Amino acid sequence: MRRLTPYLLALPSWMWLAIFLVVPMVAMASVSLQTGNAIDGFAMTFSFSNYTEAIGRYSTQLARSLLYGALATVAMLVIGYPVAYFIAFKAGARKSMYLFLLLLPFFVSFVLRTISWNFLLADNGILFGTLKGWGLLPADFHVLATTVAVVGGLTYNFLPFMILPIYVALERVDPRVVEAAQDLYATRAAAFRRVVLPLSLPGVFAGVLMTFVPATADPINAAILGGTSNTMIGNIIQTAYLTNLDYPTASALSFTLMAVLLVGIFIYARALGTENVLEAAAR
Amino acid sequence: MNPLMRGMTQPRTRRDVFRLAGFSAAGLALAACGVQGQKAAPPKADAVADYWAKQKKNGKVVFANWPEYMPEDKGPLEKFKKDTGIAYEYKEVIQENAEFFGKADPVLRAGQSLGYDIVVMTNGIQLQHMIELGYAVPLDHSKLPNFDANAGQKYKERSYDPGNKYTVPYTSGVTGIAYNTKYVKDEITSIESLFDPKYKGRVGMMADAQEIANFGMIALGIDPEKSTEADWNKAGEKLKAQRDAGIVRKYYDQSYIDAVSKGDVWLTMAWSGDVFQRQLAGEPVKFVVPAEGGTIWTDNMLIPKGAANPVDALMLMDYLYQPAVAAELDEYIQYVTPVPAVQDLLREKAKTAKGEDKKALEDMVDSPLMFPSEADYAKLRNYTQLTTQQEQVFNPIFQSITQA
Amino acid sequence: MTGLSAIELADVVKEYHSHGEVVQAVKGVTLGIGEGEFFSLLGPSGCGKTTTMRMIAGFEAPTKGVVKLYGQDVTDVPPNKRDVNMVFQSYALFPHMSVWDNVAFGLKQRKVAQAEIRRRVGEMLEIIGLTGREKRMPRALSGGQQQRVALARALVNQPRALLLDEPLGALDLKLRQAMQIELKRIQREVGITFVYVTHDQSEALTMSDRIAVMNDGVVEQLAGPREIYERPATAFVAGFIGTSNLLAGAATGGEMKVGGGRVLVPGHDGDVTVTVRPEKITIGTDEPAQGLSAVKGTVSEVVYLGTYNSYAVSLADGAEITVFQQNAHDATATAERGDSVWLSWQAQHSYVIGS
Repeated sequence: MRRLTPYLLALPSWMWLAIFLVVPMVAMASVSLQTGNAIDGFAMTFSFSNYTEAIGRYSTQLARSLLYGALATVAMLVIGYPVAYFIAFKAGARKSMYLFLLLLPFFVSFVLRTISWNFLLADNGILFGTLKGWGLLPADFHVLATTVAVVGGLTYNFLPFMILPIYVALERVDPRVVEAAQDLYATRAAAFRRVVLPLSLPGVFAGVLMTFVPATADPINAAILGGTSNTMIGNIIQTAYLTNLDYPTASALSFTLMAVLLVGIFIYARALGTENVLEAAAR
Repeated sequence: MNPLMRGMTQPRTRRDVFRLAGFSAAGLALAACGVQGQKAAPPKADAVADYWAKQKKNGKVVFANWPEYMPEDKGPLEKFKKDTGIAYEYKEVIQENAEFFGKADPVLRAGQSLGYDIVVMTNGIQLQHMIELGYAVPLDHSKLPNFDANAGQKYKERSYDPGNKYTVPYTSGVTGIAYNTKYVKDEITSIESLFDPKYKGRVGMMADAQEIANFGMIALGIDPEKSTEADWNKAGEKLKAQRDAGIVRKYYDQSYIDAVSKGDVWLTMAWSGDVFQRQLAGEPVKFVVPAEGGTIWTDNMLIPKGAANPVDALMLMDYLYQPAVAAELDEYIQYVTPVPAVQDLLREKAKTAKGEDKKALEDMVDSPLMFPSEADYAKLRNYTQLTTQQEQVFNPIFQSITQA
Repeated sequence: MTGLSAIELADVVKEYHSHGEVVQAVKGVTLGIGEGEFFSLLGPSGCGKTTTMRMIAGFEAPTKGVVKLYGQDVTDVPPNKRDVNMVFQSYALFPHMSVWDNVAFGLKQRKVAQAEIRRRVGEMLEIIGLTGREKRMPRALSGGQQQRVALARALVNQPRALLLDEPLGALDLKLRQAMQIELKRIQREVGITFVYVTHDQSEALTMSDRIAVMNDGVVEQLAGPREIYERPATAFVAGFIGTSNLLAGAATGGEMKVGGGRVLVPGHDGDVTVTVRPEKITIGTDEPAQGLSAVKGTVSEVVYLGTYNSYAVSLADGAEITVFQQNAHDATATAERGDSVWLSWQAQHSYVIGS
């Protein structure tokens, strides 16, 4: 009995995983191979053509989602790393205030935050209207309904998920290790490159995962901020599911997206050298 | 507060195309081994009679409706309670057709009750599914004398529910063109303005497949209600050309009204009620039903399968067709009422009213958007009626334009 | 001081701003450290010894004063351009680098040729006895091994001075003692200046050529271990280094009356304070001869400490004196608790620290 105790203690976790991860996944996998419609019902036909058809029809949106996700992730990294660095090393006593400010937007719903950009970036709104009034921008200039708006919206909405893990990793870097590097003839830049950066990589890794995946799958920013050719795969899945009640296509696209993301993550992890990253993280 | 002002300063959220909340719920509803079809056979006349014979009045009714669809004092419902002794529960739980259907489907499929005796849904795919799947209780017209007497003829002959077997209209609205007079100096009269390269990048179209298809077809002189697959393809080509020429800025959901008010788009497909509100808020927007035609849509009451109090529900439905009750309701809602007698009642009321109220009532009575004339109605088309098989052809044609 | 001055501090002050107040961590330190010297900065925590060392390394800029390395003013030179290396408290090894990469870090930064790096790192690992463990990560090493890597990482650069910040603090007693000897040996072999920060007085006494005893931001005494021990300059030094008895009173004619006895202070008159080390005092029942300092008291505590006994003796005026007596086989007497005893010591062992 005693030998079983650890397994019994882990049982709730396993059940959690089974109920909220495995069961829905199996259900979705099953639906993705069915054919039929919502009225006459769906039947399992092992119709793998659901996948080929869906991918064929929506490859543009799939590729676009990956591109937007990647662009937004790079932008978040470029903006987020310095912010995390500043909060971890330079903010001093104001650290908790900055972290609070970072989380403040989360008190407002995701959709509302995104919609607020519609007002801020309106063609003749407070920002561009003013600049156009001063003659600094051509009257035709607009950001809404463009790729820039969608990628910018993704960057804005997921930025804290990039900053926080990097901050946590940087926060754990012993300042004396940085001093040691400088003592051993490293310039500030070299100390950053050889010591701080490698030690913060687990945070960067986590940050990229936590932003790239949801940014790629996000339907909201494209719907609110995008134009006529900014549709992302999330919008397609949503329409297939809710409007068309085309559950097989929606499931097949979801699985395809998941598979593409997993492969991407795997390549990324290999490129970054997960072993090293994990080793540093386990310190 | 003036009921007109209140009704018009609230955003009309129920047509919001964001289908977020229903997303996960629908996901869990999917069984692992296929979803059983439930296509209902048309009910036999005696079966309907049998059903209603077994039901009796319970003295209570639960009404699920959209926000901003009932005066705050619940006047019509209070009167109903006083006249019939039936207690009511009124719930503003329906925000969006797809979301509501997504939540209701698994419950009804499992043979359980939604807990509502009346629900309100717009004519369209989800309502059609409700009927096809047998989720709507066939109505006993012997218990609908007010409807038979007072409903406009048009509201008795609708293609999505001929003979009102399952539904009776709650209210209707019009889809036309809204334009911002600050940027558009010409008077807009034709649907062709939406396709005019002069407004390149300044035109808003709706993302909803049916709405945009309707306008594509109307622009080609096709009546959507009588359209064929070939017509859809032609409309699709016209809309694709419009898109490829860069005329369309964006395919909008509810947010089009902000875009046109702010001037992000100059002219756009629009719902009449939204534009009414913005005009009253002093914004430079105008609504027009194009010379070639617009569309009319209807929100409908129905009794969902498994409802606990169908007799009481039917009584309430019929009660709302008393002209005085319908007038009170329409004065607040300000869309198109299915009871034509309301116009005269409001005109009478305007005579005795004073000041702002008088002006507001006069505006309503004269508005072709609340009381379309026969000429106006002649320009208003009904939605395309699609079978499930047709839908699988129809949707991709237009979604490949709005979701490219 | 041996040879020329490797490190010089001239009136160095370090101030911090903390909650709107100015706190002086170092209040004007002036000292010179000779080439090849083993020099300790000794004091309790918060005395300014670590701040002083960090100013030598370049991690802190002095608020006032000048820091010189080999005669060159380096006050404003960043740490990476100073030819000194530091061994950090708890080592600060690079956790993401192997032993080899840790040790090679400084050489790589200095762009030393690959072959040269390989040779010198290899030699260094041999010296510290970690050959064969080059690929280990720091966290896979014991505390003592990490300590040696930290040392190797600094020494491999052949700096002109090595700064050590409480380097043995994290080790257990046996290892610490072994490392003390090891450090001293390495210092002798490489012949470079060691500046050693510690709060452990026995460590400082064991290893140092000279010691600066610091307290509250100032150097209380700067001298060799023997002098510090035998002739503490201040009451603080006397109290901080080893155990010390303090006796105060008025002296007339080179003799101070205290506790029913006398303390000989030749050449002093008026109020004086005298320190006497416990091991210099003889305990006995017979009245001591003239020419010795002698006081009378009652044994209040006897503690057996192996190689010696420690007695606490209360004098008539309430003062308490500590006496160590070696447990030699010819020990004259072993007093018991409650015994009346005489304490005596030679005049030269009374060291006057204030008058």
